[in-house]
Amino acid sequence: MALSLGYSAAIVVALAAVPFAWGSFTAFQLGLYLIYGIAAQGVALCWGRAGFLPLGQALFFGIGAYIVGAALKTGAGWAAFAPAIIAACVLPALLAGLVGLLVFNRQIGSGPYFSLITLALAMLGFQLANALDWLTGGFNGMTGIPGLPGIDPFGSYYFVIVAALVISTAVLALVASSPFGQLLSAVRDNEERLQFFGFATHRLKAASFAIAGAVAGLAGALYAPHQGIVTPQTVGFLLSAELVIWTAVGGRFGLLGPVAGAVLIGFMASGLRNSFAYWEIAIALVFIVVVLRLPAGLGGLAAGLLGRFVPARSQLVRERPQLVERSPDAGNCDLRFDAVHVRMGTVEILNGLEFTVDQPGVHCIIGPNGAGKTSALNALTGRLPVAHGDIVWRGRSLANTRPYLAARHRIGRKFQVPSVFADLSVGQNLDIALWSGRLAWFDYLSPAPFGWRTGALDDLRDRFGFLADETRRAGELSVGERQMLDFSMTMLAEPHLVLLDEPCAGLSPAETGAMIEAIAAISADTGLVTIIVEHDMAVVERLADRVIVMHQGEVLTAGAMDEVRADQRVQAVYAGGTK
Amino acid sequence: MELIATHGLNFLYAFATLALVVLGLAVVFGLLGVMNMAHGEFVMIGAYSALAVQQAGLPFLFAIPAAIAVCVVIGWLVEWGLVRHLYKRPFDTLLATWGLAILMREVVEAIFGREYQSVDQVLPGTFSLAGVEYPAYRVVLMGIIAVLFGALFAWYQRSNAGARVKAMVQNPALAAAMGIDTERLARWTFVFGVTTAGLAGVLLSPLVRVEPFMGLDYLLSSFFILVVGGLGSLEGLIVGSGVIGGTDIFLSALFDKTSGYLGVLTISIVFLWLRPNGIVSRL
Repeated sequence: MALSLGYSAAIVVALAAVPFAWGSFTAFQLGLYLIYGIAAQGVALCWGRAGFLPLGQALFFGIGAYIVGAALKTGAGWAAFAPAIIAACVLPALLAGLVGLLVFNRQIGSGPYFSLITLALAMLGFQLANALDWLTGGFNGMTGIPGLPGIDPFGSYYFVIVAALVISTAVLALVASSPFGQLLSAVRDNEERLQFFGFATHRLKAASFAIAGAVAGLAGALYAPHQGIVTPQTVGFLLSAELVIWTAVGGRFGLLGPVAGAVLIGFMASGLRNSFAYWEIAIALVFIVVVLRLPAGLGGLAAGLLGRFVPARSQLVRERPQLVERSPDAGNCDLRFDAVHVRMGTVEILNGLEFTVDQPGVHCIIGPNGAGKTSALNALTGRLPVAHGDIVWRGRSLANTRPYLAARHRIGRKFQVPSVFADLSVGQNLDIALWSGRLAWFDYLSPAPFGWRTGALDDLRDRFGFLADETRRAGELSVGERQMLDFSMTMLAEPHLVLLDEPCAGLSPAETGAMIEAIAAISADTGLVTIIVEHDMAVVERLADRVIVMHQGEVLTAGAMDEVRADQRVQAVYAGGTK
Repeated sequence: MELIATHGLNFLYAFATLALVVLGLAVVFGLLGVMNMAHGEFVMIGAYSALAVQQAGLPFLFAIPAAIAVCVVIGWLVEWGLVRHLYKRPFDTLLATWGLAILMREVVEAIFGREYQSVDQVLPGTFSLAGVEYPAYRVVLMGIIAVLFGALFAWYQRSNAGARVKAMVQNPALAAAMGIDTERLARWTFVFGVTTAGLAGVLLSPLVRVEPFMGLDYLLSSFFILVVGGLGSLEGLIVGSGVIGGTDIFLSALFDKTSGYLGVLTISIVFLWLRPNGIVSRL
């Protein structure tokens, strides 16, 4: 959603012309709103991009402001300002990153816990700023902060602010258009699926929160010399709330929307606050309406009017250069369920489940509803806690592991209900699957991974023709196509152990045929271990090298299809008899 | 000895009032899945009801029906106009109720002003309790809360409404198919939650500063209690109130108010990090 360079340059020129066109007082006011806008850009990164809402962003803003204020008050001028502005970005980033890591560790999605913790942190910051007189000047604030040497806060300092805005916008645009930015969109869209590709989503979220913290700290650093005073209000709840309101009204999905929101509401407030008694009430109402009816804010409206509302980069069809396969040592397979017990409340879902898989090939788990088939896969991939017993894959215990760790042990998982990144394009979905286990730290901000391609991708594109149309939104695909996309993504990660939960559910007969063929071919080519949970016996018959029959959380029997079919206990279970 | 008794009573007092304040949020978040960010603002509305009654020259007891009426009406309207459209979109309820909280604060500020106000003490004087003179109103308040919780517990265990709420929570579609009017039930659950908050506001009003922003603290301490205690059970609510109230009182007495706040915030973050379902988890 980054604006083209031409538009950006026009906006910068217009901003630079403001002092000459409207005078220095307007520029001074605008400067303050632009500073707020920079902080709001960070809120937009978290909220619009990654899908979680920080309600206490002023904390980081205030920390930055106090640091730079204290540094300038030493009288050392630039010598103090230069390290201070770095500290004003780094310290908030570290604090935000730490809080993010802790709070996101076991929280998936955009639940309220994170938002409330950040709100509480801002309230704490406000109390500390009031209480620590010797450090912050207490209730009256840190006063008499000098401006930067040789730069008039009411004059040329405005251009410093515009320059900082250009820098923050450029950096955030880079982040948004990088693989990291695309992964954040995927977090917002379907965080759990991303974990099954081996991404530690809590770290991705914490990193984006740290970036937002740094941006807020930078804005605070600019604020101190601009205003000459920093009060506890700078850290507090009200500014935090306003940052969210500006972001919502301006538009949280872009980078200019939040700035526009801060500027627009800022000027309107300064004009109306004193003459119109119900201004604050009106703003609260506007916020509620925007949240419910206009999630993209005014920025979304403007973009819609301009007819340029195109999803990020999806119009680009990229040439994908060939990439080597990941270490193809699929031969070593050794999976053991060792008396595994899983409980949910008082119900025993897995009741001493015990089986071993030590041969490559297709192993089908069958059994009546409620036998614990899917639960067995959930226990293996860290989705269900194991109460007793152990699950061992290649000599390593995976009991009570976490989904992203299971994925890093080369276990791929496809859910029964197809799970893709619906808001992203088909190409972006394939990108993320290809990145699984392949992104080095420096790749996260590099454009190179967008072009990756593997032999497996070529093969899958030949099988499933719809994959070639990379610009389609995954949410627009039919159920069958989503099944195939999900399956393709699972395979593109090149797992050594693949868990497929009813891969043919919801497919037409023709699609079922194509899917069976794909599973058989890939399984034979790569020699990997495939475990399929399936009710459709035609599929089992076609694919299974071995069948495991489960009943009431235990293995009833295992063996070749014919043996299993002949087993009287199996017949009894399927005929509805009781044990 | 006397000091211990005083602190013990202070703890009991904090514990009881916290339990009363958190009750409504626990019901609305635990049963309906709606994190009502305006929860504290309903406490504020209750306190301002007491203030309005006082300004009208009426006795304090009139504030209780007044606050209940105001909260029922506002709660009903909010559920009908806002929350009911968002049960399937929890993130949007967070945002919408947060916007509502701002709106309620601003409206109250426009009517009553931003400054701190106070409601007159209703029961001046002290009781002699465990060898200490303790403010009589606080003692009465603790008694009222104990009775309220006892009655609520008995009612929820026995009444049909309790069973219906449980059914609705566990399987809304099936509950609706069984002839339970889930929409109506959800609405009254929400109204009940915010009304208990308003009631808490009335009862606390003579003891606290009444101002438009007072709700934030109640929202946050309620949230801390839910994080520590866990959702979905009365036991969790009680344990959480004890832990949060105890930590706050202890650290505040030892150092200062800010340390108490820092302490409970740290505990909450640690719980979210290591034990996100709280001490007592039913969900």
